[in-house]
Order: sequence, then C-alpha cells, then structure tokens
Amino acid sequence: MDNDILLKIEGLRASVEDKEILKGVDLTVRKGEVHVIMGPNGAGKSTLSSVLAGKPQYTVTGGKVAFLGRDLLAMSPEERSWAGIFLSFQYPVEIPGVTITNFIRTAVNSKRKALGEEALSAAAFLKLMKEKMALVQMKPEFSKREVNVGFSGGEKKRNEIFQMAMLDPVLSILDETDSGLDVDALRIVAEGVNTLRTPEKAAIVITHYQRLLDYIVPDIVHVLKDGRIVETAGKELVARIEAEGYDSIG
Amino acid sequence: MSDKEIFTVRQGTDHKELLIPEGGRIRKHLILEEGASATIVLLAFPGMDCGMDFRVELAGQGASCRLSGLYLCPAAETFDLAINMLHNVPGCRSHQMFKGIVSGTAKAIFSGRIVVAPDACKTEAYQENHSLLLSDSAKVDTMPQLEIYADDVKCSHGAAIGKLDEEEQFYMRSRGIPEQEAKVLQMLSFLSPVMDMIPEGSTKDSLVSRIEQTIRYSF
Repeated sequence: MDNDILLKIEGLRASVEDKEILKGVDLTVRKGEVHVIMGPNGAGKSTLSSVLAGKPQYTVTGGKVAFLGRDLLAMSPEERSWAGIFLSFQYPVEIPGVTITNFIRTAVNSKRKALGEEALSAAAFLKLMKEKMALVQMKPEFSKREVNVGFSGGEKKRNEIFQMAMLDPVLSILDETDSGLDVDALRIVAEGVNTLRTPEKAAIVITHYQRLLDYIVPDIVHVLKDGRIVETAGKELVARIEAEGYDSIG
Repeated sequence: MSDKEIFTVRQGTDHKELLIPEGGRIRKHLILEEGASATIVLLAFPGMDCGMDFRVELAGQGASCRLSGLYLCPAAETFDLAINMLHNVPGCRSHQMFKGIVSGTAKAIFSGRIVVAPDACKTEAYQENHSLLLSDSAKVDTMPQLEIYADDVKCSHGAAIGKLDEEEQFYMRSRGIPEQEAKVLQMLSFLSPVMDMIPEGSTKDSLVSRIEQTIRYSF
C-alpha cells in the first residue's frame, strides 16, 4: 500500500458521442507532484480532464480511477469537488446574473455542508475572499461582477485560479490554463498556482506549449497521443518535444 | 372577463406599474402622449391560469414604453399574453422583454405584435421572448409578429425556447455546487434581466425573494 498516492488511473477508456477518445490511460499521481500532460491536438487531453471532473457528456467505457482510495468514477461532479478535485476550465463558462461573491460563497458553503462543517460567517468569508483575490491580483470590485461575463481571457483564468484557491483542492487539474494569456497574466496565474503548491497536494497541468512550464516547473512530464500516454519522463522531455515535435515521441 | 382598462400617460410624464395577476384575464389599453414614458413589469406566479391583453399606443412623438415580465409555470398553469405595440407616430421607442420557465404540463402562449405606422419613421422597437422548457409535457407557443409600414426604423425580435445549459451546470457542479442548487442559480440567472426591471422601492426585495422561493421550491 502506497500512502502517497492521490490518484491512480488504470486502463481508462472514454468516449463521447460513440467516438472513443481515451484508449487506455494509466497515470499515478503522488502527493507533492506536479505532472504535465502534453500532446498534439485531438490527443484526448481535455477529455481526460473532463472525465476526471465527471462531465456527464462523456461515457467511461473501461478502466478505473481511484482518488484517495475511493472510486472516483462512481462520484458525481460535486462529490468529486468535495473530495478535493478541482478542474480549471479551458473555456470558463459565463453565468449572467450571478455575482462572483454569490457563486463562490455557494460553492464554498456547499462543500462545508457536505463535509459536515458550519457555513462560514459573512466576515470570515469576506476575509478569505479578499486574501485569495489578492493572490491573483483581482481587484476587490471584481467580486460584484457577474461570473465571467465580459471578462478578458486573462481575467477568466485568474478567476479560475481564485476559485481554486478558495476551494483549496487536493488535486488541481489545469486544462490549458495558459491559452489566450499574455505574458503578464501568465505570470500572475503561474505564481498563484505555485503559491498553492504544498507537499500534501498535487497538480496535473495540461498544456500545449512550453511557455507555462517556464513558470510552473513540473516533476513528471507525459505525452498523450491518440488516447494513450506514450512517453513519461522528467522535465527534460519538454525540451525534447520543443526540439523534435510529437512525431518522434512514442 | 373584465372590462378593458384605458389609461393615458400625459405629455412628458412617467408612468410605472407593477402587475401581479391573480388569475383570470386582464385587459389593458395604454395611450402614451408626446414625450411620455411607461415602464410596466408583469410577474406571473404559479398556481393559476392567467391571461393578459396589452394594447399600447405610442401616440405622441418621443414616447417610450418598456414592458417586461416573467411567468413561472411549474405545474399545470396556462399563461397567455397578447401584446399589441402600436407605433403610430415618429420617434418613439418600445422595448419588450418576457422570460418564463414552464414545466409539468403547463403552457405558455406569447403573441407579440409590433405595428409601425406608415409615417412612424425613426421608430425603435425591440421584443424578446425567451422560455425555459423543463419538461416534455410542457408547451410554449411564441408568435412574434412585425408589421412595418415605415422606412428608417430599427426593429428586432427574438424568440427562443431552450433547456438549462449543460455546460453551465457542469461548471457549477465542478465547483461543488449540488445539481439542484446549480439549477436554481441557472434559473435565477436566466430571469435576472427581468428581475432587474422591478422598480426600486419597498416591495422589490420581497418580490425578488418570492421569485427565488418559487424557483427553489416549485420547480
């Protein structure tokens, strides 16, 4: 029994609209590790993150996933969140008419309720929110805005990392968090992620590009191609991909 | 059936009205004089059949009318709204926005007619009717009708019938918001443009909370 294992994926297969996307993925994530998953377009990177978060539109057709020893695939998306999984969306969704404050308070207190904890007092909640917004350099007036409505690409991603900080997950999955960001926004997001790194937690960073990895240094790098992980190595793999492309790998 | 109520908004004045039907059919005929404006918000709560006939005559130049409303029909209600927005003279504006949630075996009917008279140039007339249809047995009929006899006008109408968005729902659930609560937030999000139109005042808070309670416990 390996007590350091947070996530163990074995032979995971999944499809969407009868098209098989994941064709047997194996991946083990231990406490304190940052994994990077790279790969060409259409390899299944976003599918993997969606399946881990429990998106109903995907059908798991084989394999198993254990998170902290529990059967992740049997849990609803909200149960996965309560257990400590967080997915930062590649395309965060706009929710008109719902303010960030209202949204994140509902999320935080739903989790507390599910874990049998009291709801946060208004003062404690506001203090926490202020602290976490500062982490990603969001101005306080942002809390009154409708979730992601009219946000720039950078603002949306900062809002994702802010929510991640508020929910304090054990395993964070960042799906193409770097796409559409300028250098300043990229640095802010990366610093936010790095601040949340602890020996007890882990992250899976899904990315297309090397540039995010200049800021978030991975422990383990995987290449996902055609629904399978075809190569796993240390961070030196990133440079090899940059030099040779994906064709020579796997 | 009640008699038609005729109301004239005098030149340059502003009329605000909140309508909360209690069943039966309401008929209203509003005449707006030059520079007059009217803001009317209709809130139809569950538990009864109701109908409304609305006839608005923009009779004086520069008049403007804003009609907004929501209908909440979770069970077996029939909601029937007929609007005649008559742009009789130049330079008037009208804006209609109706949103509703229909479930169970309820039925919502919206027929919205905009008529722009031949010399009513510089008219601006907009109409939106959006419904969320939450059950297979519920029904929505939406019939926008634009009759434009003048040039140089800006008119648009949009009608949509949809379901709760699954991407939105997954986004919220992935943040730990339970499915049922996510649906409540989605419905409130959908209705918020109409709730924003409720005139500020002593009753606004209690009406907003009545809408929230209805969403939470009736759908």
